[in-house]
Amino acid sequence: MAKTLPHLKIVNRLQVLRAERKMTQEQLAKEVGVTRATIIAIEGGGYNPSLELAFRIARYFDTDINHIFSIEEDEP
Amino acid sequence: MKKLDLMLLKVFLYGLPLLVVLAAFACCHDSGMVDGGAGYIQLLNSFAGFVIMVWMMLTLYLSLRLMVSGELRNRVIAKITFMRERDEREAAMTGRATKATFLTSLAVLIFLFWLACFHVSFYRVPPDQAIDGKTGRVSLGIGFYLLENARQEQPADTIRKEYLFDYRGLPVSSQTIILLMILWQIGCYNYSMRRLMNSK
Repeated sequence: MAKTLPHLKIVNRLQVLRAERKMTQEQLAKEVGVTRATIIAIEGGGYNPSLELAFRIARYFDTDINHIFSIEEDEP
Repeated sequence: MKKLDLMLLKVFLYGLPLLVVLAAFACCHDSGMVDGGAGYIQLLNSFAGFVIMVWMMLTLYLSLRLMVSGELRNRVIAKITFMRERDEREAAMTGRATKATFLTSLAVLIFLFWLACFHVSFYRVPPDQAIDGKTGRVSLGIGFYLLENARQEQPADTIRKEYLFDYRGLPVSSQTIILLMILWQIGCYNYSMRRLMNSK
């Protein structure tokens, strides 16, 4: 019997960081090598980026990955 | 080899409109006209035959290459199905849409297999052969043939039956089923992809 694990919701501060730098979604998308739709999906919580993309975003903002992405525990 | 494949693919695609024109020409003129027609009609007929022969050989070669060459598959099939993988999110969506397409196609194939095997008949028999005064009968059966020409001839009925409904496997040709499955796969993939793109 598989153990029921709590659902982990990944939240991010991408929109805030982008606003601080007065960047558009298109500009950020170009910088990290994805489409604008992907940036929209990440900001809206509809898509969790891969570790590679998460590190690329963190590197671009010159910050720690935990500063951008964090976990909220959801009810299962 | 890659350059040759791409060149042959272009010949195949550019030959397609020519093939349509030649087929339309062949439909408009009967064979008697070609035999007794002017020199240019006979020349055009010979040219059409040559084009069709080359195009058919190309079709065979390219379809076999598509099965074995991953790169050619990505170039050609991805274009036909409107696949786009511009980044990791779209690659993930492609995977999910492909899974949905595979599973629904499998379900459709199982359903078609059932339809192809299933036989059902509703018929009436003469009153003298009625059982408990009932003349209506139902016949159910399953038929499976490994080869198309292995289908057995139906034995002549010993009793006179008045068929109300008789279904013995899919009435459509195998070409139609294959074409429908190709269209189904393309349509299902595109629908799944659009749904994923529009979902939050």
